[in-house]
Amino acid sequence: MEALGHLLQGFAAALTPGYLLYAFTGCMLGTLIGVLPGLGPAAGTAILIPLTFSLDATGAIIMLCAIYYGAMYGGTITSVLINVPGEAASVVTCIDGHQMAKQGRAGSALGIAAIGSFVGGTLATVALVAVAMPLASLALKFGPAEFFALMVAGLCLVVGLAGNNMLAALLMTVIGLLFAMIGVDPVRGAPRFTFGVEELYDGIGFVPVVMGLFGVAELLLAAEKRQTHMVEAELKSWMPTRQECRQSVGAISRGTVVGFVLGLIPGVGAIVPTFMAYVLEKRVSKTPERFGKGAIEGVASAETANNAYANASMVPLLALGIPSSPTIAVLMGAFIVNGITPGPFLFKEQPALVWTVIASFFVGNALLLILNLPLVGLWAKLLKIPFSYMCAGVLIFCVIGAYGLKQSLFDVWVMLGFGILGYLLRKLDFPIAPAILALILGPMMEKSLRTTLEISGGSFGIFLDRPVALALLTIPVIVIAFLIFKPRSLAPLRESDIE
Amino acid sequence: MRQGRLVATGAMLAFCLFALWQSLLLSLTDRLGPGPGFFPFWLALIGIVLSLALFVSIWRESPPAADGPAEEARILPHGWGAIRCFAIIGLLAAVTVAMEFVGFRIAMLVFNAALVIALGERRWWLIALFATLGSFGVYYVFTTWLDVLLPTGQFGI
Repeated sequence: MEALGHLLQGFAAALTPGYLLYAFTGCMLGTLIGVLPGLGPAAGTAILIPLTFSLDATGAIIMLCAIYYGAMYGGTITSVLINVPGEAASVVTCIDGHQMAKQGRAGSALGIAAIGSFVGGTLATVALVAVAMPLASLALKFGPAEFFALMVAGLCLVVGLAGNNMLAALLMTVIGLLFAMIGVDPVRGAPRFTFGVEELYDGIGFVPVVMGLFGVAELLLAAEKRQTHMVEAELKSWMPTRQECRQSVGAISRGTVVGFVLGLIPGVGAIVPTFMAYVLEKRVSKTPERFGKGAIEGVASAETANNAYANASMVPLLALGIPSSPTIAVLMGAFIVNGITPGPFLFKEQPALVWTVIASFFVGNALLLILNLPLVGLWAKLLKIPFSYMCAGVLIFCVIGAYGLKQSLFDVWVMLGFGILGYLLRKLDFPIAPAILALILGPMMEKSLRTTLEISGGSFGIFLDRPVALALLTIPVIVIAFLIFKPRSLAPLRESDIE
Repeated sequence: MRQGRLVATGAMLAFCLFALWQSLLLSLTDRLGPGPGFFPFWLALIGIVLSLALFVSIWRESPPAADGPAEEARILPHGWGAIRCFAIIGLLAAVTVAMEFVGFRIAMLVFNAALVIALGERRWWLIALFATLGSFGVYYVFTTWLDVLLPTGQFGI
């Protein structure tokens, strides 16, 4: 009941013209980013951070969150129209969505995707309202030992999802944590790994790093392949028929549950819930043979799960301060840039901000539904933008974003360096997500561990005396042991599995 | 691919060894508890163990067949792809250096024009329009509307 009161106050703020404008702009820009192949939600959110520099903290977070779920929807358009997923989570949508487009039903596919995204996103936000505050209240009882254990568990779950590449993922986590050690020691204030370079005293900037690893690296990969796309499908109508809506009701309901539950688990990428929802739908269908040939339930389940996941993944961030995916890590970076530390104290110390942001999720989902159905034709036209202009445009934002935060050209060099590094790591099949999450969690992890050890007089035995910390620390042990000894039938999900 | 992964793992091993050495220069513990070198020391140590394990694991993988697909072995870009990639990297480096001297607007004007030409655009009027909007236009929007400070260079442009 208390949450409902806070939420209503949040709505009062989120519906003011200023915040509505930020949500609207974020939805539009996010969809644009999602439509452009090669730029996913993480890269899109990262490169658009400079647009929020002049906004107040609430406005900046509202806009960046809107960019995030706008991008999640935008990826659908290219999946349906040209069989190219705008972002990884839309891979599953290609299967039936593009088949529907070939049959002249592109409008129905995009319409049901928008409706499913709205329903999934909205219901997941309702669940977020119910779950986040009790979870945050519980986390308020945590001490530094529990927080350290929670962060280790979160990172290990991300590593666990790397499957056969787990050793490389663990190494990338450690590399990310080591990069996070650059700068002034958070406990004693001593400079570390700075080598007399003044710019390194503040540490490696998170914004230039993510812009490099996602923005510049993505462009280098795209430039190498020279992506050119032609729009093939024509749009006749953007509303599904009554029969198609009836066929999709079950898929949307099940997709919401799958997306929400998996969104709560750190490390589960957006592709897993969409794939699981699709497979579940095929299993429960009386006519599974239609899947892969233009079944609307296939589109509805995947798209619903996609947006339910996007909204649910805000729960660990807001309630525990744990980012569950690279995009959420970028959002966490934006929180920190704006002087806000996500986590249990957020609900206690800044309830106005957090409830306004949560209310803006409802508003954003509604805006996406209202805007995207009639604007599908416009988004499709954007696919004709030549790569050369898209590349130059994105790089302008990257340079401004890297420079603008601290007015430092050193950060532009950092962005370029991490761009080249990200390109090489991607080509060598080293997972980047664990390093990003480690980079943002590193200082907090170190502070928690050192405070814990100061309390215990240097003894690690304190973790054995704290049942919650001990329980949390067993999660990574179980995950890693399970993955080492897992049966072959439980091999990790890969994009190729769906093809 | 296998060779590239071995080199990358070797580089990470070297990075962890360097971090271990640097952390030993800091105090690992003091009278209050763990010192500034404590966390990086253990991280570097874990990193060394992991990179050695990964190195051995990649080493034991069977090498690709000699008649396997050539694309598999290519890590660095080649042909026109390489030219486009190096154009992006080179121009980004050049614009970073140039911004300090000539400011954002002039540096970005040249950067935009050079990049779209390098990526295949040949319509001069479109190049000029994009370069101008992407430099002077963007500068105006960010400095006037969004209050973001951008470099003006030594001539105040």
